[in-house]
Amino acid sequence: MNNLGPVWLAARREIAVRSRSTGYRVGLGITVLLVVVLVALPSLFDGGDSYRVGVAGAQGDQLATALTAQARPDEELEISVVRHADEAAARAAVTAGEVDAAVVDNAKVISESTLDDDLAVIIDIAHRSVATQENLRSAGLDPGVVERAMRTSELERITLSPTAEDAGLRRLIASAIVVLLFVLLIQACSMVAMGVVEEKGSRIVEILLASVRPWQLLAGKTIGLGVLGLLQIVLIAVVGLVGAQLSGAVPELPDGIYGLVAATILWFLLGYAFYAVMFAGIASLVSRQEELQGVLTPATMLLMVSYFVAFVATADPGGTLTRVLSMVPPFSAMIMPVRSAGVEVPLWESALALGLMVLAVAGMLWLGGRVYRRAVLRTGARVKYAEVLRGR
Amino acid sequence: MLRIDELRKRYGDKIALDGVTLSVGPGEMFGFVGANGAGKSTTMRIVMGVLDADAGEVRWNGRPLDFETRRRFGYMPEERGLYAKMRVAEQLEYFGRLRGLTPAAAKKASDDLLERLGLTERRDSEVDSLSLGNQQRVQLAVALIHDPEMLILDEPFSGLDPIAVDALAGVLAERSAAGVPVIFSSHQLELVERLCDSVGIIAAGRMVAAGTVAELRGRERHKRLRVVVADARPGWADGLPGTIVAKDGDEVILEPADDQEVLRLAAQAGRVEHFGWIEPRLSEIFREAVA
Repeated sequence: MNNLGPVWLAARREIAVRSRSTGYRVGLGITVLLVVVLVALPSLFDGGDSYRVGVAGAQGDQLATALTAQARPDEELEISVVRHADEAAARAAVTAGEVDAAVVDNAKVISESTLDDDLAVIIDIAHRSVATQENLRSAGLDPGVVERAMRTSELERITLSPTAEDAGLRRLIASAIVVLLFVLLIQACSMVAMGVVEEKGSRIVEILLASVRPWQLLAGKTIGLGVLGLLQIVLIAVVGLVGAQLSGAVPELPDGIYGLVAATILWFLLGYAFYAVMFAGIASLVSRQEELQGVLTPATMLLMVSYFVAFVATADPGGTLTRVLSMVPPFSAMIMPVRSAGVEVPLWESALALGLMVLAVAGMLWLGGRVYRRAVLRTGARVKYAEVLRGR
Repeated sequence: MLRIDELRKRYGDKIALDGVTLSVGPGEMFGFVGANGAGKSTTMRIVMGVLDADAGEVRWNGRPLDFETRRRFGYMPEERGLYAKMRVAEQLEYFGRLRGLTPAAAKKASDDLLERLGLTERRDSEVDSLSLGNQQRVQLAVALIHDPEMLILDEPFSGLDPIAVDALAGVLAERSAAGVPVIFSSHQLELVERLCDSVGIIAAGRMVAAGTVAELRGRERHKRLRVVVADARPGWADGLPGTIVAKDGDEVILEPADDQEVLRLAAQAGRVEHFGWIEPRLSEIFREAVA
């Protein structure tokens, strides 16, 4: 068998065993559900608006025209008008909920409770426009002249800063990326650490290492659990993107969203490689799961600090701290995707961040692999760092 | 042929192995006995490359033992190591593949062993749902999955019921008959005596005795004679040359100074119904050796 054979075997074992564990499946289900809810939530509260307005009495025709003219189907604003015989019929329709409000004689508005702000504006505009036309006509002006005078063109909208256009949305996406990266990294890396202790504590590792090299075992475990993590992040991204478009919560995804998603996945893989090997090396020092938490604390802290800084960066993606840390490994793994979500990142800075992170991963592979190789067969009391780092 | 030569190992101030030397030839079943902490597991772990020796070497067919050779060995560590959440057959096939078997060969070997060890019905059970005895059978199957050239088994019989012991002993005897050297440690001395061609006794990191059971008996310093004389007058044995160990009616057990003189005196005293050496049990040899 070649050198990589055992790596794939070990990786396949991790995937097969973990993916059928109830914990993983339930976790995956909950995550997907959470994403669906998050994506669908805004549309439940803030879906497109659709109003039905009743009209009765004098100037009904003009009002109907003025109301429907304000509909903006492309912005999900629909207005329909219902004609009523008299005020009594209009009141009945409001009470029955057939219409949201009714205008009588272009003089009063009837609604069940306080009038919706948006609808109030719509009705007010219609009322003023019809009343003004009527007043001008009564003053003896030619109806044709009045109509021409009332005809205005819409205001043209100009945005000076295009990225600021969807700053809110971008910040939301950045926050989602931070939480997602943190949760997935800590989850996958903890699984690596627990797997290492499982094998060491039960002495399976003694049988394994009689047939495979330590690096092959470590690589197989890391890759296998990494594939499961990758599966999760891809699934979440797909559900999130597709869900956002289907639910209509986000009318238009920001430019470059697909590139951002791809970059986030790449950063996840780099961050995972770094932290997973670190967690594995540290985990190989102890023989019991109960000791794991304590020995992992410094590594978990590093991940937490990274998380908090990244969260701060979501509020200030253009700041100096964000800019610097987005290039310093291992912080870059979480902060660079956040920064990219908020602002345009110069290509050279992205390249530098990637290059440095790849170097850090290589360094961690060397260091973590060395600790693992030397510590994993030393069962019993906790192995000290000095013993495994020193010499040879 | 496995040769272990002058192995030394210390943990801090504690000397674990103090020059252990032994060899196991083709088809030989070697029983490794000794008190807890005497150095059995340390020796086996060094052979399997799990530990490094401070000095000494292990040779296989005249060459220093390396990783590739060890891959063809079967090993059962003292503390049982199996993946709790993996199914029995799946686990066996995995270890078979790691040892270089093709998928088809791994499946066949797994099926055969499960059949042989009476585990066929549990093939799709997760390991942690099995009884301890069955887990131990799976552990043995893991050691045997790749048809190893040498078997190193640390306490393979501990915690097994008599039926499982017989099943396991049968499999070991079969491998041994096929020419595979087998070394196993055990505290069950009757079992070692029954199964093994040769025995090594280790105490405080040193081999204190090694050889076939017959050789060990021959080495015994205080050989005991059992003599039964019918119809002898009381007190006939009082003048026998040697030390009387026990007397019970017609039967006398003694450590003779001159066995032929004892025979002559017995024949004079009456009708000799029994005259022979007592074969010491391995447990007696063991107690004497480690004393």
